[in-house]
Amino acid sequence: MSKPFFTVYCLIIYAFLLAPIAVVVIASFNAGAFLTFPPQGLSFRWYLVFFNNEVFMRAIRTSLWIATLTMVISGIIGTMAAMFYVTHAGKLKETVRVAMLAPLLLPEVLTAISLLFFVYSVGLGTQNLVGMIVGHVLITLPFVFINVSASMESYDPAWSLAAQSLGAGRFTRFRRIMLPLIKPGVIGGCLFAFIISFDVFTISFMLKGVGMSTLPIQLFDYLRTNFTPEAAAVSTCSIVLTMAVVVISEKVLGLRIHRF
Amino acid sequence: MTEVSIEKLTKDYGQGPAVNSISIRIAEGEFISLLGPSGCGKTTTLKMIAGFEDATEGAIRFDGRDVVHVPVEKRDIGMVFQNYALFPHMTVEKNLAFGLEMRKLPKDEIRTRIAKVLDMVQLTGYSERYPRQLSGGQQQRVALARALVIEPKILLLDEPLANLDAKLREEMRVFIRDLQRRVGITTVYVTHDQAEAMTMSDRVVVMFGGRIAQIGTPSDIYERPANLEVAEFVGQVNIIRGKVGNRVVSTAFGDVPVSGDFADGAELMLALRPEAVELLPINSGATGAPAKVLSSYYSGSLVDYRLELATGAVVNVQTFPRTRFADGDQVLVHAPSDRFWPLGIVA
Repeated sequence: MSKPFFTVYCLIIYAFLLAPIAVVVIASFNAGAFLTFPPQGLSFRWYLVFFNNEVFMRAIRTSLWIATLTMVISGIIGTMAAMFYVTHAGKLKETVRVAMLAPLLLPEVLTAISLLFFVYSVGLGTQNLVGMIVGHVLITLPFVFINVSASMESYDPAWSLAAQSLGAGRFTRFRRIMLPLIKPGVIGGCLFAFIISFDVFTISFMLKGVGMSTLPIQLFDYLRTNFTPEAAAVSTCSIVLTMAVVVISEKVLGLRIHRF
Repeated sequence: MTEVSIEKLTKDYGQGPAVNSISIRIAEGEFISLLGPSGCGKTTTLKMIAGFEDATEGAIRFDGRDVVHVPVEKRDIGMVFQNYALFPHMTVEKNLAFGLEMRKLPKDEIRTRIAKVLDMVQLTGYSERYPRQLSGGQQQRVALARALVIEPKILLLDEPLANLDAKLREEMRVFIRDLQRRVGITTVYVTHDQAEAMTMSDRVVVMFGGRIAQIGTPSDIYERPANLEVAEFVGQVNIIRGKVGNRVVSTAFGDVPVSGDFADGAELMLALRPEAVELLPINSGATGAPAKVLSSYYSGSLVDYRLELATGAVVNVQTFPRTRFADGDQVLVHAPSDRFWPLGIVA
């Protein structure tokens, strides 16, 4: 493929991927009363409406809270699973991998319905966030697992052995040697977990309690009866939040993102 | 300084012993090499001394204290790995400090010790570099420094020169040996390279199939090998056969007196190293067996000849290239009778 042709080709793909986002963002600055494109005049009107909408604000707080908890829990379990998978699974390696990736292969709606049965049969119910977080952890786990095990593949077990010969116990070896070296994979996996949890609809919809709402559910609910640019403003804020998480973790934690 | 004593050490992974009841006593400050082909159990033995592998049976004593149940991190060993295993996210200084921090030494002592060890391995000024910014030889010296800076009881090296090119390998041999002498630390060195083992060690342990074939000084191993396997593993060797009669073996080189109890009429194998054989012109009038030059290989300081004796036997001879013989030349070969070493009776 010649170079100019390749450049054009790439530009078209990027345009294809980013155009919907651009449309939403532009539409959110609409001054008119209906969600239309191109917008009729520019204003921050709908952002003000959104920020003063207590229902949306509560939903966004719930979503952030769930995404944070999901990221932490999924990050810990997924990292441990990846460590086991790479260093100790032995003959079970393939089985462990398939089991860990199973949530990706099953239709999300099936997972959601089974989880709903599950939380009620163990007496957990949907009155609190526990069931929802279990669900979110379940579907985000494969992303942490894939990212961490990929960075574990380039981890030389001799590094741990060397640390051990120098007098480091199990925990010190993990904290001072392994964790810093698999950090890109752990952070990448955690970001995935956060973003997916923030974005997921089906699982949240099934496992939410009465009167509880996450941002995607609230948005869906809103769009059933309303068609104002406020929806675009909500979406834009959601996009900005997600990107902020990525950018801040890159700046603060020095993440090199290989697989985005 | 620590004396290490290995007693009837055995490792069995379930398919027969990988290391089979070996015993070695390593004196304080001694440099011992475990030499053998891959799969002979030398690395497994080293891992058991380090504590990375549990011993199935037997004892490992550091100054009389059995350490078999002491975990690696409490065993106080310094280990150099084949690929160095330097921590890639730490500078040279941090790599060196790691073991000292584990020992909870005060900061200024850590600094003094690092400066001292860097000087010892001639890397002063490299403390802020990362491992990837160093050459293979420099990484090797950092790995050595990291193992030594903690002043361990014993230094263990697992084929540390295997990844270096030939010239650097020879430099590092001398470097490691000198450093070990200066520090005076008891050292176990694993290698499959006989030249490495010979040039560096006080004593060499030759292992085959999980067992010790011979323990001895480099000259013991080379000149007085315990059996055919050892003789062939440690350098080139000619196997000369002959019948025993009256404490003398008659060979193509003439009669060779042998000490040891061999029955008359038995066929004996004698080891004869290529450089022990002298080559003389056919008309020199000296005593010797006539032979024909089959081929010769010139390598600068030495020439290797392949010769055919009148009996049809082929011998390899290594000489200095003072007098050169051409392929097809008739020559006289002579070997002093004390350069033959009996390896045993032909089975």
